[in-house]
Amino acid sequence: MNGVLLAALLVPYVTAAVTLFAGHRSEVATKGIAVGGSALGLALAWVVAFAQLGDAAPLAHVFTSSRTVGPPIQLATYVDPLSAVMMVLATTVAFLVQVYSLGYLADDPRYPSYAALVSLFTGAMLTVVTADDLWMLLVGWELMGACSYFLIAHHWELADARAGAVKAFLITRTADLGLLFAIFVLGDRFDTYRISTIMRAITEAALPRDGLWLPAVLVAVAVIGKSAQVPFHTWLPDAMPGPTPISALIHAATMVAAGVFLVARTYPLFLSSPSALTLLGLVAAVTMFLAAVYAMVTHDLKRLLAWSTVSQLAYMFGALAVGAWSAAILHLLAHGAFKALLFLAAGSVVHAVGGATSMDVMGGLRDKIPDTFVTMTLGFGALAGVAPLAGFFSKDAIIHAAWEEAVHGRLVWPWVAWLLVASMVATAALTVAYSLRAWLLVFFGAGPEDVHDSPATMRVPLVVLAVPTALGGLAVTVPWILGGDRGEHLFHWSTSVLMTLLVIVTATVVLVLYNRRGREMWSAVVVPHPPIDWVWDRFLVRPVRRLALVVRAGDRDVIDAYADGAAATARGAGGLLRRTQTGSVQGYLMVVVVGAAAIAVAAGLLA
Amino acid sequence: MPLWWPLLVASLLFAIGVYGVLSRRNAVLVLMGVELMLNAVNINFVAFDAQLRDVLHAGQTFALFTIVIAAAEVGLALAIVLLVFRTHGHIEVDELRELADRDESDLGRLDHPTAGVES
Repeated sequence: MNGVLLAALLVPYVTAAVTLFAGHRSEVATKGIAVGGSALGLALAWVVAFAQLGDAAPLAHVFTSSRTVGPPIQLATYVDPLSAVMMVLATTVAFLVQVYSLGYLADDPRYPSYAALVSLFTGAMLTVVTADDLWMLLVGWELMGACSYFLIAHHWELADARAGAVKAFLITRTADLGLLFAIFVLGDRFDTYRISTIMRAITEAALPRDGLWLPAVLVAVAVIGKSAQVPFHTWLPDAMPGPTPISALIHAATMVAAGVFLVARTYPLFLSSPSALTLLGLVAAVTMFLAAVYAMVTHDLKRLLAWSTVSQLAYMFGALAVGAWSAAILHLLAHGAFKALLFLAAGSVVHAVGGATSMDVMGGLRDKIPDTFVTMTLGFGALAGVAPLAGFFSKDAIIHAAWEEAVHGRLVWPWVAWLLVASMVATAALTVAYSLRAWLLVFFGAGPEDVHDSPATMRVPLVVLAVPTALGGLAVTVPWILGGDRGEHLFHWSTSVLMTLLVIVTATVVLVLYNRRGREMWSAVVVPHPPIDWVWDRFLVRPVRRLALVVRAGDRDVIDAYADGAAATARGAGGLLRRTQTGSVQGYLMVVVVGAAAIAVAAGLLA
Repeated sequence: MPLWWPLLVASLLFAIGVYGVLSRRNAVLVLMGVELMLNAVNINFVAFDAQLRDVLHAGQTFALFTIVIAAAEVGLALAIVLLVFRTHGHIEVDELRELADRDESDLGRLDHPTAGVES
């Protein structure tokens, strides 16, 4: 089984290399390799993953190990149910994205590099979810950052795309420093970099409360950056100029999901330091509400979905902060399904109206792209938490867990839990409102006439993703697939009824507003530019630029001065020497004779 | 015969040769100066050979050697002088300064192989 796992890890990397190599030589071959490679990776990942679901013993193996001073750095893998479901999610979404891209990027001149980077991205995510060594995890983690940079900048002729890519890269890289230093601290403390060993040690050692607050907070900083939470939240919406399938990949299966995954993987570390959990809870409470407000007022379909991703990720962190591990993972999976569906459907809508992403130019698309309409309706329903779609169960499980924590308070201060509950309920209402608004604006009312339906390669992935979106919620009835009995009851009648009531009330209000005011349901204030960007600019970007200026001046005026001075000296000495090159042969001879005579005289005097 | 007689002659001959090389403007006369210097050396070779009673007569051998080399050298040098006369119209040594280091403004002329040939 370890061989299969290694193959599943290597297939995406090899596919990426071969796709790049095939390049433009044969369009059919490139597309075949890209899709075939991801299909093979999907099959291998499923073979590994399904054996590991439930109570199976985790699959741990060390392939090779470094022989250096200090704790060894190992190529070690560890597949437990968490890794298994993440592998399934990542490879499935990646495969569907590859199929979808056949249609979406049919005429794109940069398709080969795009397909190769998608494969590489998948490989990096698989590396992260199966790594048992912190350094190996860091490699995959950083590789994802690099891939997201390249893919967001796919349309690099657009200034927006370039700026978004640089922003995403810089913000996540800044936050990634947290992970790097967390690795240093953990390696120093436990004398090993193996995650499973460290987690077992933390669980068994009965450490004092907050004994490991430093690495926990550092990891929290890294995941807050990767998953675009406050105050690192602005990169995700600004990454929207990238191709839409990439947004599906980043938002559903890889990049931002890796943040939630890392907290879930190192959960004993967080449980041992409530201060980090409190930090996560506060960040989540602020983020989910703020992002939902932004989603309420934006007019851009893709930015709306991006803000909703930020908001839903905050739900997961909120769940992790109150100890609802299974609920968080369940929401991660459900979100992976319905957000991939929503983004791919949004791509289909954008394709239908000819490339614009603003919802102002959409409308009345209900009859013109029926497949997209049905599947996107399911996706919005799941996002809003409509029973019995996937998002309904997972969101209710999270809200109930936060309520329990607020009442019985074991992990975090009660006021943090109360804040989380309040924020979650308010955000749930806002989520219903902005989902319904987007749904109405895109599919109802008057709209463009010149609409063309998407090709089959784009519609089939939508239908495939609609199945888990619709039925995935039933997973709450089988929580054992995540392994062990954690004593968590994920389904609660009281919460479900209350949340359904909330959905109905909010939807009614929105529909009434829509009937009364038409497409401008609430005052469409221009989205304020997130002020956090101003703070970053003032306190990080500009000081760094100024520092760069100082360094440049030092380089030019100090170091270069020495180099230039040496050159000028040599040149001046050469200038003196060239005076003697008069071209007069007899002059040269005179110098020789006089010189020889002088040497002879000197020799005679000295001897 | 004391050794210093031939040495004195050789020194005078060499000094005359140096003077000729350094002061004459005519290239042929410069060559004659060179010949005088070579023959001054030959006298030294022969004089020391006789003085030291060398059984192998290395000094005389080298004198002959020098004469042969000098003949070849003069043949080559006269050919050069002839070519200089054809291209420049004169054989004044102090006028032949094309190989001098020029100012940068003159560097462009180096691209033309015939530079300096016009007169």
